[in-house]
Amino acid sequence: MIASAKTRALVGCCVLATGFTGFSFRLVDLQVTRHEEYAAMAAESHGLRQTIFARRGAIYDIHNQPLAANEPVRTIAADASKIGDKAELARFLAKPLEMTEAALVEKLSRERWSEKEQKMVPARYIVLKKGVPEPVADDLIQRIAEIDRKKDQKDPAKAKPGQATPAPTASVVQEASGYYTIEEAKTLAKAGVRAIMLEQDSNRVYPNKNMLSHVVGFVDAENKGVDGVEKTMDDFLKGHDGLRFSERDRTGKELVPFRSQERPARDGANVRLTIDLSLQDIVETELAAAVKQYRPKMAIGIMMRPQTGEILAMANRPDFDPNDVDASPLAARRNRAITDMVEPGSTFKITVVSGALQQHLVHPDTMIPTENGYFTYMGRVLRDTHPFPELSVHDIIVHSSNIGAAKLGIQLGDQRLYEWVRKFGFGDRTGVQLPGEINGLVHPVYHWDKLTITRIPMGQSVCVTPLQVVTAMSAIANGGSLMMPQIVHDVTDCEGHTVTAFPPVEVRRVISPEVAAEVRQALQDVMSKKGTGKDIHVPGFLVAGKTGTAQKAGENGIGYEKGKYIVSFVGFMPVDNPQFVCLVMLDDCQVEANKNYGGTIAGPIFAKIAERAARHLGLEPSQELLQEQSKAAADSERAND
Amino acid sequence: MRSNRRRHANVLPIASLATWIIVAAFACCAGLYYVYCKHQLLERGNQIHGLERELAELKNLNECAKTRIDMLSSPAALRQRRTQDLAKYVEITQDKLVLLTEKPADGSELRTVANIKQ
Repeated sequence: MIASAKTRALVGCCVLATGFTGFSFRLVDLQVTRHEEYAAMAAESHGLRQTIFARRGAIYDIHNQPLAANEPVRTIAADASKIGDKAELARFLAKPLEMTEAALVEKLSRERWSEKEQKMVPARYIVLKKGVPEPVADDLIQRIAEIDRKKDQKDPAKAKPGQATPAPTASVVQEASGYYTIEEAKTLAKAGVRAIMLEQDSNRVYPNKNMLSHVVGFVDAENKGVDGVEKTMDDFLKGHDGLRFSERDRTGKELVPFRSQERPARDGANVRLTIDLSLQDIVETELAAAVKQYRPKMAIGIMMRPQTGEILAMANRPDFDPNDVDASPLAARRNRAITDMVEPGSTFKITVVSGALQQHLVHPDTMIPTENGYFTYMGRVLRDTHPFPELSVHDIIVHSSNIGAAKLGIQLGDQRLYEWVRKFGFGDRTGVQLPGEINGLVHPVYHWDKLTITRIPMGQSVCVTPLQVVTAMSAIANGGSLMMPQIVHDVTDCEGHTVTAFPPVEVRRVISPEVAAEVRQALQDVMSKKGTGKDIHVPGFLVAGKTGTAQKAGENGIGYEKGKYIVSFVGFMPVDNPQFVCLVMLDDCQVEANKNYGGTIAGPIFAKIAERAARHLGLEPSQELLQEQSKAAADSERAND
Repeated sequence: MRSNRRRHANVLPIASLATWIIVAAFACCAGLYYVYCKHQLLERGNQIHGLERELAELKNLNECAKTRIDMLSSPAALRQRRTQDLAKYVEITQDKLVLLTEKPADGSELRTVANIKQ
């Protein structure tokens, strides 16, 4: 039976309708029911999420000299799933990456567990080497580009016999030259050079190496601040990475027209320190010379502008190179100026004298009996190096009398002495923008024994950080204001606009300008012929300061180590308008016992620093003083002869 | 009659054909133009990509050079060069030094200089 045309048409229509209904169901299944799944697959296959890395901000000194910068480098990675011949690829990479072929083959053979395939598959991201310099990476890029160019070319050497060889054109001659022959290029292309990825990265570099290393600090492998200003200012320095969504083709190349959402990277802000690199260099050089000469266990130099609390220089020995942190022991990385506490010794006498003067218990000329250098208190003897029957308050500072200071402490009383110590900032963190600062140790009165009141005025039974000593001396130098030490001057964005500034902060007024002037006068006379700092002179300038020689506390915290001293000198210059306060402190110098004093070791270092610093700061020496000093020096020479 | 039949049999619908040819040609041109535009878009994209890469490379090279200059001009590097005798200090002798007198009280900027050795 032959179906009629109408029947055939009907059957045809039914088949078509059924077919299209099937297609429709499939369409709904794909586009609606399993939309999420396929959309995710498409996104994974074609979507591209690029991170735009932010540049870490730089660190500068006050004159915009770089202290920490970024060096662009590359991280070389590989996708093992695209590698053909691991050994060939390892041979290709070994020389530029300065790695052995065996090490590279081992890395390229790494596998990962695939949930989808339920088996180990070649890893798609293997870091071969980090921190590859840009010129090396450029060379590698050119080699890969050449391989890409040559891999599809015909080798003229392999032309069939009898086949006419075309005359070499300019481009052929150019292609023939280069790193590889066409044959080598084809082999390397098969080995999988396209699997090599060269990613942008950056290395933090510190151009000044060991200089200022404790202040600037360093970063970890992820460019995150670990120590120093790098740590405290990390939020400003790190910036924010940007993001870009785009699509890629089958070869993984980005399709630029299909870029969609984009958030640009925000580079980190630049941090400008209060440090003056030239002054830092002066302090570092003199400290290094002192370390060479006296071989102390540690040495510290701090320079501060007393009016503002800005730290102009801060140096520590031992030190380290932040470019190669692992090469230095952990102890060398400690910023001892803020993390170590020491008994300050006689430099602490300024506290008790200032307190007694401010309380109007005494005035500079008040005579205090100093018992000919032998004073018994609560059954214990206190001695002076230079015995006097009595000394004025002014001369207690000049001669650094322990007995005189102890008697002033007794006059003040426990509670008031404690308050004056705290008023000068001892026992509290100074608030400097550096990590790891400690409080020091000032025991509350109820922990004092009967002798503490005589020990604290001469700088024992109390522990302070070197920075606290400089801050306290700055209060006397500037007329009585305790300033918060500052190491960061301001933060600016990459276009130079100020993001944050750190103006000077007055913590509190400690003493009146009149009392400060009286103490300054006494400190100036410390450098006179009768004072403990008689060897400390800066040509053309009046210097004020205080020497300190503290016995070193025992390792277990009990008693003192025999013959071991921490010598220090803290002073400022010029006396009438101090431009800087400088502390020099050395621990356990290897010298004879009769030379191990603050006035003989730390003082002259201060003088050398101050002389060079005055030249750098453009301070004008007094002509009259120069003449007086040269005359005095000539007289002294004549007397010696 | 014959000629009449020729006139009515196998007549090409020129107008309709022409219309369809024009429509087809237009569609082809539009298609080709679309492909051309798409190609241009991708080409420009590649150019943008290339330029971005070049710019990034230039920035990197610039940064590398800056870092290198910083490293070579730091006090530590200069000191090292001095120890290797690649650079040296030239002493300014006393006869070339002059001292300024203190500022006059009348506020004048004119100040005399004196050489302490002469």
